[in-house]
Amino acid sequence: MSAAEKIISIHNASKFFGSLKALYNVSLDIHTGEKVVIIGPSGSGKSTLLRSINRLETIDQGTITVDGKNIDAPGSDINALRMEMGMVFQSFNLFPHKTVLENLTMAPIKLKKIPRGQAEEQAMALLKKVGIEEKSGVYPVQLSGGQKQRVAIARALAMSPKIMLFDEPTSALDPEMIGEVLDVMVTLAKEGMTMAVVTHEMGFAREVADRIVFMDQGEILEIGTPEHFFERPEHPRLKKFLSQIL
Amino acid sequence: MNSRATSPTFVRFLVAHYRDFLLYGLLLGAVAWFIASGEQGTGYHWKWYRMPRYLIQFTEDGWVLGPLLQGLIVTFKISGLSLILAMIFGLTTAIFRLSDSFTARLVAKGYVEFIRNTPLLTQIFFIYYVIGPVFGLDAFGSAVLALSLFEGAYASEIFRAGIVSIHKGQWEAAYSLGLSRQDTYRRVIIPQALRRILPPLAGVGVTLIKDSSLASTIAIYELTQRGNIVSSDTFMVFEVWFTVAAIYLAITFPLSLLVAEMGKRMRTAD
Repeated sequence: MSAAEKIISIHNASKFFGSLKALYNVSLDIHTGEKVVIIGPSGSGKSTLLRSINRLETIDQGTITVDGKNIDAPGSDINALRMEMGMVFQSFNLFPHKTVLENLTMAPIKLKKIPRGQAEEQAMALLKKVGIEEKSGVYPVQLSGGQKQRVAIARALAMSPKIMLFDEPTSALDPEMIGEVLDVMVTLAKEGMTMAVVTHEMGFAREVADRIVFMDQGEILEIGTPEHFFERPEHPRLKKFLSQIL
Repeated sequence: MNSRATSPTFVRFLVAHYRDFLLYGLLLGAVAWFIASGEQGTGYHWKWYRMPRYLIQFTEDGWVLGPLLQGLIVTFKISGLSLILAMIFGLTTAIFRLSDSFTARLVAKGYVEFIRNTPLLTQIFFIYYVIGPVFGLDAFGSAVLALSLFEGAYASEIFRAGIVSIHKGQWEAAYSLGLSRQDTYRRVIIPQALRRILPPLAGVGVTLIKDSSLASTIAIYELTQRGNIVSSDTFMVFEVWFTVAAIYLAITFPLSLLVAEMGKRMRTAD
């Protein structure tokens, strides 16, 4: 693992909301091909950490580099960096005025200058991959929550990102739809996609994660393999957290 | 069968609403009496038969528009041009007000507050007499500029409300794909905001048609000014102004109905 290239490097990142520490001295590297799952109680800063990586949140101290480039450096092209990072949100955030297909093709056509026909072909292949190609012509309002999230994943993949960021992708879903979204994510992981996932799905974390990160009150308290994490947790707060949710 | 079935319902309707019908009759009577007494008091003689020629008349050249309809065309030209410019001013100002730049926000805020807190008539005079000569704007140009600046300030508030009403997740989704702020506005935010604000924006159009009558004060031969001329030429004050009002109503009332209908559809669509 140490031989693999670092795609994301977070060094001593801190963010404050007044006196509240949203992030405090957080350091974390993510390597190409690695799956990192971030867990923790709500308000622990795990979403803030994930959103800082593509600068939807800005950090007050520390540095974050993506592909060797500091995202906060004055000359850095954040839009170009964001194109390399797909993001999936808890609330899907599909574009309601565009069809499913247009949701997938807009950014590749606009930003990567891919011809429409080719972009649509790629989009259809992605929709097939997430099992929803028959819905390509409908508007998001006509989809179920699980379908929306699968489209959102496909939309992020359409930019051929180097890493996928998932911000609680199943938290807004009805229980019977969580499985279909997790299945897509597991498939993606098996194909070797680099992934950073904030989630409460411990089954997913155990099955997919190379490393699990536990955060509380803006700090990383423990990092380890799933085996270490679930069998031999060390930090008392992690033990308490696991005892409450398992 | 059918008529026997409907007539009792109609009678029942009459009986149930007789007070309304009575009131309505009284109201119409009062209006008729008011107009008739005015006519007698001033010795006014109705000459409706002389009105049509001021709308349209048939000459050896064929049908020719009378002064009132010619005025209406000017009203349409002023309103249409002003509407386009007002939308541009409004959208630009709204984006300025939502920008990160302090200067842009200040400029936009200053413009909106200045326009909203001075009378439109003053603005028209100011632009015609002060700004116009400097930039070589004629009366028509001055009127269009004044009206579009005025309605643009109100439209900017509508645009702003529409843009702010779009969920912040839409911005984040667009940004996360790598879209710039400008592209996000163009492809994601504005198209969604436009659907929500179309009814109030159409309302701006209705207001524009009415407010364009103020252009008559700087010698533009639009509908109101034409009415003014015809009425002072012919002394048919009542007929002319009834007609002018009816023409405005015939244009704006269907537009208002359309606005209301669009509003209803938008609400059910959301």
